[in-house]
Amino acid sequence: MSYAYHEPSELDEALALLARHGDDAHAVAGATAFMLLYRQGLLRPSHVVGLRRVRSLGGIRDDGGALVIGATATHREAERSPLVARHCAALARAFASVATVRVRNQATVGGNLAHADPAQDPPAMLLALDAAVTAVSPGGTREIPLAELFVDVLTTSLAPGELITAVRVPALAPGTRAAYVKFLPRTADDYATVSVAATLRRSEDGRVADVRVVLGAVGPTPIRATSAEDALRGAAPDAARIAEAAALARDAADPIDDVRGSAAYKREMARVWTERALRSLVA
Amino acid sequence: MKLAHSSTVPVPVERVWTVVMDVPRAAACVPGVSGVSGAGEDRFRGDLAVQVGPVRLSFSGEVAIVARDDAAHRATLRADAKEARLGGSVHASVEIALARAGEGCALRIESDLQVAGRIGELGQPLIQRKADQLLREFGACLARTAA
Repeated sequence: MSYAYHEPSELDEALALLARHGDDAHAVAGATAFMLLYRQGLLRPSHVVGLRRVRSLGGIRDDGGALVIGATATHREAERSPLVARHCAALARAFASVATVRVRNQATVGGNLAHADPAQDPPAMLLALDAAVTAVSPGGTREIPLAELFVDVLTTSLAPGELITAVRVPALAPGTRAAYVKFLPRTADDYATVSVAATLRRSEDGRVADVRVVLGAVGPTPIRATSAEDALRGAAPDAARIAEAAALARDAADPIDDVRGSAAYKREMARVWTERALRSLVA
Repeated sequence: MKLAHSSTVPVPVERVWTVVMDVPRAAACVPGVSGVSGAGEDRFRGDLAVQVGPVRLSFSGEVAIVARDDAAHRATLRADAKEARLGGSVHASVEIALARAGEGCALRIESDLQVAGRIGELGQPLIQRKADQLLREFGACLARTAA
């Protein structure tokens, strides 16, 4: 088995290749996810379109207060970028907590989102930050909020032949704090049993003005625990209220039994780690 | 791998039973099924296309009704299919049971699935989620077809 490898330097060329070869083509950037599926024999494309030479897809920039990360920026670039760190330190940490340095030097931010693995770190954090991807196809360009991008395990709402060009993280309201934590009971480079990404902003009287809680690795997509958010919004975030919200996050989780724990255990860990994440945000 | 699915259909049990036992008609309710034709008494051939994320599978195989009890509304089906794109096979034993539930009908499908070959690399969690999804859509479509 083999495939023809194409490495266009223009985005239009890449889109044309994907349109021409249809189901027989697969787009890659760092190709870390692709190579795993390919070596397992689960993907058998005749054409692979490499995107790393398309310069317009790279780079990290500030766009009027929003953070824009190009699709082919690597995780390593994102974790070390002063722009990312200034925008949201927890986002930099989420990128830094993916797998190992070797993987992070190769794997790209856009590829990670297109792969739609619910156990990955950046999707949960970016969803908590209300990010959206810019997607382009021969038909034009559109913005897809992350809540609409992830449909199922390894499944996105991208149309065939459509590519992510960048992810856009809106400016955070002043005073917003963010956290990313994950539970790794096995090894440091393993997938998480559960991860929690959260943002929280308090008003001057100390009550919660805004909050977002997202669970990773405990469902077919990252899950926004909206009932937990509702329990906190407008309330004083004392220990009891946070415990109540964390219990609601447990109910929002939809995990399966696997080597990283039974479904019941993962639900309980979703509660524990949500409580920890929220406490860190009001400490 | 064992899967269980239950749902309630707001249609009398006899009507649902007629559709379920009309295999080509019932098979049209499974998303991705095509080309169903008879292959002898209580045997049918057909194809099934399934997509799991970026992985596309295309099955080709046979379904046989191995036991049926029209009075009790229970049947046992046996499905054997080969996957041509990646290589592999699926063998399934499926128990279908219908029961009266008020004005409607309770549908219960219990499957025991054996997955062999490369498609097994997808892993049980992914296969299970996909199979659950197919069964859910089957149940919903059955309600529309029998209504």
